[in-house]
Amino acid sequence: MGQALIIGIVAGSGYGLIALGLVLVYKSSGIFNFAQGEFGTIAVYGLWAAHSAGVPYGLAMLAGLAAALASGLATERFVVRPLFGAPRVTLLVATAGVSLLAIGSEEWLGKGQLRFLPPALGGLGRVSVFGFAVSDQRLLILATLAALAVAGTWFFARTDLGLAILGLSQNPLATELMGISAPRLSRFTWGVAALLGGLGGILSAPLANGFGAGFVTLSALIPAFTAAVLGGMSSLPGAFVGGVVVGVAESVAVSSPTLSRHVPGAPSVMVFALLVTVLAVRPRGLLGSRTAAATTLEEAL
Amino acid sequence: MTGRAARLAVVAGLVALVVVFPLTRAGIEVNVYTEAVIYAIIGLSLNVLVGYAGQISLGHQAFVGIGAFTAAYMTTVHEQNFVAAIFVTMLVGGLQALLLGLVSLRITGLYFALVTLTYGTMAENSLFNITSLTGGSAGQAAPKPAAFASDYRYYFLCLAFLAAVLYVDWRLTATKAGRALLAIRQDRRVAASFGADLKRYTLIAFVVSGVFASVAGALLAYNTGSVVASQFTFQLALVFVMMTVVGGLRSRAGVVVGSAFFALTGFLFDKLHLAAAVNAVPLVPDLPAELAPLVLGPLLLLFTLTRYPGGFGELLRPIGRWLRNEDAPVEPPVARARVASRA
Repeated sequence: MGQALIIGIVAGSGYGLIALGLVLVYKSSGIFNFAQGEFGTIAVYGLWAAHSAGVPYGLAMLAGLAAALASGLATERFVVRPLFGAPRVTLLVATAGVSLLAIGSEEWLGKGQLRFLPPALGGLGRVSVFGFAVSDQRLLILATLAALAVAGTWFFARTDLGLAILGLSQNPLATELMGISAPRLSRFTWGVAALLGGLGGILSAPLANGFGAGFVTLSALIPAFTAAVLGGMSSLPGAFVGGVVVGVAESVAVSSPTLSRHVPGAPSVMVFALLVTVLAVRPRGLLGSRTAAATTLEEAL
Repeated sequence: MTGRAARLAVVAGLVALVVVFPLTRAGIEVNVYTEAVIYAIIGLSLNVLVGYAGQISLGHQAFVGIGAFTAAYMTTVHEQNFVAAIFVTMLVGGLQALLLGLVSLRITGLYFALVTLTYGTMAENSLFNITSLTGGSAGQAAPKPAAFASDYRYYFLCLAFLAAVLYVDWRLTATKAGRALLAIRQDRRVAASFGADLKRYTLIAFVVSGVFASVAGALLAYNTGSVVASQFTFQLALVFVMMTVVGGLRSRAGVVVGSAFFALTGFLFDKLHLAAAVNAVPLVPDLPAELAPLVLGPLLLLFTLTRYPGGFGELLRPIGRWLRNEDAPVEPPVARARVASRA
């Protein structure tokens, strides 16, 4: 049970990374970005291609992140910006289209094969944490997440750019009247969101038993969305916490003998139940505050 | 006089294409046309939800799959005849849609889209893997009804179902329910203040959509002869959404053409030797015909959304008007563009 908890927490922090990107885009433009998972898969393919061409792992990771960044910026330029004034549901369908295009292209160019990635830090070493064996790849994910949590908090509370993004999400017109360029901010948010998705992808891919077309979308998009919803779709720490909650719920569903024996696909059922329950009972999320206009630090994050 | 003759010629040509042309082709090719007809029913089902009720469904593979598995279960396990199997399928399909509709009353907009996405994935991973009902990973056999065992007869059976679905869809939009749904989609509060029963009409739309989709699922199961859970993926749900949007929401002709187009993309890609053209490009791997809809479809979708929100329906509208011998409406073009982009 303890082992399941640790695995759940770490898997959940992978979801949290992707959920961060979802929340960032939603906060700044009110879009549910269904392409977020594919930014991750593109990064994984980029990393894999560079690594198998003989590039050292660290540089290959940068190549993967660059690929994710490029796909994020391309999505912003060719899909999001032309549809700027369109209803949000149209944008949702459009980003789902981007996701499907990426999946189809990966299937095509990758010839439908399953690929494998070695972990970032040499062999799968195991470190003992509170008496539980945890691989160092999982520790790397946790450390990244912790660093990003601090960086994100600082960014939104202390930098002009962070405040401008918050302003844009709360009142786009007033923000533009303050002399802030909305297209530039939009580009920035999509770039950062794609990088977060990419990071989530390249850190979790070595833990999976191989990856194929649409790897991150199929394995993590729904849990990541559920994580973001648990955080009320607007809170960065909420997305972290949500990710961990979803990860643990899935892990419990997998390791519980009764559930896994009698319910096929128990993790999916668990996530579905979690999502519907949260939306029906507490739509503002676990950490969300009551009023949307509240400007406390907690809400701003 | 000449206009009338030309109109008759066009209608005769369309009838010949749909009714006579398949008779001249091999049975295995007719299966592909049958699938196009079934996809048209799926497109119309999604159109009721997205186009009329304004509720996006990213889990429509579950709607279709539940129909397919129910029909296969009734036919193979309970050895029921076709009529009984279809009847139960419609009942189950309508019921599951009603349940999701009840959820949609509480959870709206983008969040509901997320719920449907999760519902579809849950159905694929869990519901469709309950071995006692669906045969597990081996799937369930679904032999064609004896009277329609020939590929040609089965094609006409599906065509008859499409005609019935089109009729119901037309009645739905032409009556009070259609006007109420239109009002609700444009402004829930204004519609409610005029006395439109929001809950009732939303649920009606869900049930109608669910019944259409489950019928399509049953027909799909009989067409292939078996059903397996792995058919009903997330990608399939997105293909359904794409074909409906590219076809043009709220345009029956557009949705039918768009859905049939997506069902036939792989086949046409092969037939027109487009595959050879792609394969001739150096350094690019061969594009298999079954991947063509996944690669080309989204490009078409993004083009439709950004440049031409009316889809095929908008293109077909003047032709339809000409066929009915109507004058162009005096509606201001700006207002129409706004309605068209309201997905």
